[in-house]
Amino acid sequence: MAITVTIRSLMDGKPDPERKPLDPILKTENLWKLYHAGKVEVPALRGVNFDVLPGESVAVMGPSGCGKSSLLYVIGGLARASRGKVLVDGNDLTAMGDAERTKLRRSKIGFVFQRFNLLPTLTARGNIAIAQYIHGDGYDPHRFDVVTKMLGLEGRLHHRPSEMSGGEQQRVAIARAIINEPKILLADEPTGNLDTKNSDIVLEMLRRLNKDLGQTIVMITHNPEATTYFDRVVHMRDGIIVDGVPAD
Amino acid sequence: MMWQLVLRNLFHRPMRTLIGVMAVAVEVALVILIVGLTSGILQETAKRIEGIGADLMVQSPTAPMLITFSGSPMPIKIADKLAELKYVRAVAPALLQFNSTGGVETVWGIDAKSFREVSSGFVFLQGHDLQDPDDILVDDWQAKAKHVKVGDTYNLFNHKWNVAGVVEHGKGARLFVPIATLQDLVGAHDKASLFLVKCSHPDHTEDVIAEIKDLLPNYPVRPLKEFMTLMTSTNIPGLETFINAMIALAVSIGLLVIFLTMYTTVLERTRDIGVLKSLGASKVLIVRALLTETTLLCVLGIAAGVGLSYLVRAGFLALFPTLSILITPEWVLRAGLIALVGAVLGASYPAWLASRKDPVEALSYD
Repeated sequence: MAITVTIRSLMDGKPDPERKPLDPILKTENLWKLYHAGKVEVPALRGVNFDVLPGESVAVMGPSGCGKSSLLYVIGGLARASRGKVLVDGNDLTAMGDAERTKLRRSKIGFVFQRFNLLPTLTARGNIAIAQYIHGDGYDPHRFDVVTKMLGLEGRLHHRPSEMSGGEQQRVAIARAIINEPKILLADEPTGNLDTKNSDIVLEMLRRLNKDLGQTIVMITHNPEATTYFDRVVHMRDGIIVDGVPAD
Repeated sequence: MMWQLVLRNLFHRPMRTLIGVMAVAVEVALVILIVGLTSGILQETAKRIEGIGADLMVQSPTAPMLITFSGSPMPIKIADKLAELKYVRAVAPALLQFNSTGGVETVWGIDAKSFREVSSGFVFLQGHDLQDPDDILVDDWQAKAKHVKVGDTYNLFNHKWNVAGVVEHGKGARLFVPIATLQDLVGAHDKASLFLVKCSHPDHTEDVIAEIKDLLPNYPVRPLKEFMTLMTSTNIPGLETFINAMIALAVSIGLLVIFLTMYTTVLERTRDIGVLKSLGASKVLIVRALLTETTLLCVLGIAAGVGLSYLVRAGFLALFPTLSILITPEWVLRAGLIALVGAVLGASYPAWLASRKDPVEALSYD
């Protein structure tokens, strides 16, 4: 089990006493997601049952089209579940409307995407600060410094995405995702657009986030080597989880 | 942070922003100039009529308020009837003829003696009063615009006139010719377009009006002192409608360009909108970001539009010195407000569309 330490506790030098490490922070029960192609219903998720504990890092693997991304979008509140339940930190996403899911996403979820998805008009600093602005806490320079230093971005903050390498862009995306200390970090193939060297850097950063800061992470990946950085690997096929294998 | 995002977005596509700014600028300039031109002409005409110095003006029942375009001749003998009225000191007939060749102006055919009696007379900067049938008086603005001086020949209505005098502006018209010659030229023998009346005392103005109304029941009689307040777009039939139609046209242009600009902006930023949504941005925040961007674009356009208005006015006045374009702070504000409302309306649908985008679809948009 990962140590439950938040960025704030790292900043303060004290562990967060409010954390309860044993209840699942993410839980799905018989989760279904159906897409409509004309009059035909196409199931992407077919009754997924899945738990993630606080501070755990989980890699989700499976062939293309098995429902990995759909699972990530539904548990992240970006897409609505068709059936079943999704509990994030005790909040049932399936009972929430758009506005409530947006609010929950803002306060409890951080996303990292394969294509980085940085705002092209903003600098690295702006891309990270916009997350703080949307979160509503405003700009916290100390927290900003801790995160950017940890991700080795101090010298790149004034650069725009087009002026950065893929690895740097993905580190900015990670900084943006964790700047507000989300309960869960969801990563959708974060190394999919990176070379081996940068993939290793990003995976190492994710591991440090998990091990040093206790960040809960769910990552989708095609890369079997990436799974060695995670506590647990979950395999999906045809919209269901077929096993749960503890890593060594 | 919002401002940083808005500003960076605004300058990310400078050409698109420039087109949006120019569209608003043209819209604002059109409103300011159309209103400025109409109110300028009206006010300048009113000033010149007031400046004659007569007390009343009698027109034919069908004559328009804007006497610039006045034809509607009446028998000149009416002048004799008016002169017989109690409290009337003098009456001067005038035949007005609109000329649009080589410029836009109204020529007044006057009888020099009676015109002098009803007005306080011309202030001559050069030359002398109308004496010969082919004499013409030119006011100083017209003289400057046409580069004429006393002794020059002035071509008007296919007739060669001799510039007899250059007078100070503000006496009804810019060009004055003998009424008899003008009657001959336009085939309006013994006709006049209006009569200027001088009362024996200003206090008798109301009595004279009552007398004229008895004598000529359907003929409009207007005190010249009230002309300034009477010469507004609302009192000129069709002018208000024309102005409103022009404003609507200008607003439509601005609205459509802003709509198109923001619509393409939203399409281009589909993925960015998905990113903002993934970060937890609410619909309100997305709408606000786009409307703030529109507002900023519009404010730049308004500033450019006001500048453009003054530039165009300067250009027009250099080309046509006798033209009057009145730019008032009130209408600058109104034009700005109209443009702002139009722009926000134009951006509302794209902003609403952006706020409703499905984040998953938006994130996978190429």
